[in-house]
Amino acid sequence: MDFSLTEDQEMFRGHIRKMLDTFGGTQVAREMIENKPENLKKLYHTLAELGCMAINIPEEYGGLDLESLDLVPTYEELGRSLVPGLFMETNALAVPILKKYGTDAQKQNYLSAVAAGETHISFAALEPFHDFSPQGIQCTLQQKDGQYVLNGTKILVPEAELAEAFLLLVRTSGDQEDGLALVLIDKTDELSITKQASFDEAKHVAKLDFTDYTITEEQIVGEADKGWANLQEGLLYFNAALSSYMVGAMESVVSMAADYANIREQFGQKIGRFQAIKHSIVDMKVHLEIARSLSYYANWVADTDEADREAAVYSARTYTTEKFIEASAQNIQIHGGIGFTEEIDCHLYVKRARYYDQYLGSTPFYQEKVVASLGW
Amino acid sequence: MDFTFTKKEEKFRTELRTWLEENLPEGWLEGKRDLPEDIEEYSRVLRDWQNKLYEGGWAAIAWPKEYGGRDASLMEEIIYHQEMVRVKAPPLINYIGIHMVGPTLIDMGTDEQKEKYLKKILTGEEIWCQGYSEPNAGSDLTAIKTRAVKDGDRWLINGQKVWTSFGHVADKCFLLTRTSNHPEKKHRGITVFLIDMDQPGVETLPIVQMDGHKEFNEVYLTDAEATDADIVGQLDSGWHVLIALMLHERTGIGAELFTLEQQFNDTVKMSQQYKINGRPLIQDPMIRQKMAGFYARIRGSLLNYYRNLTTTLKNGRPGPESSIDKLVVSELNKELSSFAVEIQGHHGVLWDQDAPADSKWQSLFLASFGQTIGGGTSEVQRNTIGERVLGLPKDMGR
Repeated sequence: MDFSLTEDQEMFRGHIRKMLDTFGGTQVAREMIENKPENLKKLYHTLAELGCMAINIPEEYGGLDLESLDLVPTYEELGRSLVPGLFMETNALAVPILKKYGTDAQKQNYLSAVAAGETHISFAALEPFHDFSPQGIQCTLQQKDGQYVLNGTKILVPEAELAEAFLLLVRTSGDQEDGLALVLIDKTDELSITKQASFDEAKHVAKLDFTDYTITEEQIVGEADKGWANLQEGLLYFNAALSSYMVGAMESVVSMAADYANIREQFGQKIGRFQAIKHSIVDMKVHLEIARSLSYYANWVADTDEADREAAVYSARTYTTEKFIEASAQNIQIHGGIGFTEEIDCHLYVKRARYYDQYLGSTPFYQEKVVASLGW
Repeated sequence: MDFTFTKKEEKFRTELRTWLEENLPEGWLEGKRDLPEDIEEYSRVLRDWQNKLYEGGWAAIAWPKEYGGRDASLMEEIIYHQEMVRVKAPPLINYIGIHMVGPTLIDMGTDEQKEKYLKKILTGEEIWCQGYSEPNAGSDLTAIKTRAVKDGDRWLINGQKVWTSFGHVADKCFLLTRTSNHPEKKHRGITVFLIDMDQPGVETLPIVQMDGHKEFNEVYLTDAEATDADIVGQLDSGWHVLIALMLHERTGIGAELFTLEQQFNDTVKMSQQYKINGRPLIQDPMIRQKMAGFYARIRGSLLNYYRNLTTTLKNGRPGPESSIDKLVVSELNKELSSFAVEIQGHHGVLWDQDAPADSKWQSLFLASFGQTIGGGTSEVQRNTIGERVLGLPKDMGR
């Protein structure tokens, strides 16, 4: 029995944290609000130099061939500083899908470029007025004169400006889950990309419009009609990663609250001495530690064929999302008036919690998956 | 990360499992688990079970071999709890003797005390209780007023204890008394005595709990007697003894978590049986969401316990984070049993023989209110976590 990260993994965490501190913690996220992604790009370059992008890529494509668990320190640290960008979409969604279902050529092209830090892959699934469900995917991929043609609109596509490629979920037939395909397209000038306004301005989102946009058969990842099923495999890794990212963010929230309660005085006392404040921070901490345990296990179990694989990942996702929302909100309450301002970081975490709450499925959506996977 | 058990641990599990199959009371494994209502009978049956455990070498596995234990590792203790929960083994009537008093005496008792008590703890010949709380000293034990005064070569003890679990069946009490006053440092001047419960100066009155059970008691001490030889550790140093005793509780919450997990699995079964609008409850989307929520929390708590256990295994002692486990398990217990009653609809209030299926949920629900109080209220746990884990300032009044 050993339920902990290894010394190497913890040491690696130290490197990442130090590096992110030199970038000023949440400063990079704040610069994104002002549409200045230069430091974010530099940060990603440094992440690549440290080998982060290569961690879960096979050696033959220039990777380190390590486990999902080895990515946990990076996820958590990125979450602490709310670093935006496509690390998770690339390494925890596109990479596992390519490893499992990609052709040799796709692997050669993309996995090597990801490992080298040259390619970041965004994910385009959501569409206007629809949820994240098979029926919600209406953007079509049709064969026409020996070619494949894309038509439709994708919204809420993260960090399109930083992406070199997009993984798309599109409809090939019918309106059920067996008529969906995953395709990978490179970013070119022909793509119509429009920035969308989001209240989490540190996390950029865009709309992609496709009008008779042609692609080749080689760009389809895995069997054409198995897109939804194959995506589920990727979502296991992605949701495990997302849980760790949110754990990192929650950790930051809890230490902000505790630090403030240790400094701020009212009625002649540090406010942390009042049980109403103290207990509220303790509850945040308790939820954080449970979320951390769930997310460690989720990342470990993703690489195995344990029977509780899906239940573990999706319960990590649901629990962590819910508690991140609660904790980030409570953090504002503990800070009082200053917590409601843009000056202090509190609001950044509230917005990010809300962003991820509904990203690629909601809490009830994943709770249903937990229950279904247990056969109830 | 590694969730496997070693060969030695697996062997231990098999050995215990085999022993339980051969030695549990007749019919127990098949579900015949009724214990006598009558307190004398109840006590006799459970003392017999305790003695059987002793004879099999399973009474106190964590104790050193020289005192009748097995020198069990932490992992073996975990396995022990898992197996006991799996077969829903009879309760350990000498829980306090085995897990608290015994280890404390091994650690800091005199040779005479060890000789006199340890074996009888194992066999169930002497059942122990703890005399801690008093009417005005619950969460704040430094406020105890029960006083021990030297009178010649004996000590005379006067005062009142309350919430004394097992007091009505106990032969001996691990008693917290005040022997000197220190208004500024109230934890000083406390002394622990080992006293006889069947002496003239000790009167035990059961307290009826809200679930109808009488598991704890008021204990009145009127010139109850003890000698110097009955003091544990040093005079006036009872607080250190108390802290040492708490540290002996190495894996206790584990058993509660395994039980909680089992009870959750039982709620799943129940929600497959009960119907709403003619359909099993488990098919109702709201119920499914709630069940998924409990699943996440219970798995998360168990995993968190394992993570804290790993710290203990590596460092030889638990980290401060392990104080989270008690808070979490008692709060969850309360919410889960409440949920189990809630989903029975109006049947949920039916009790005993009229309960629709198994009145265990109704009992668990009522009993759960004690769990967020006993062993330190949730509020006290939160103070501890706030101060020791998060470094927040000490609470008012301290």
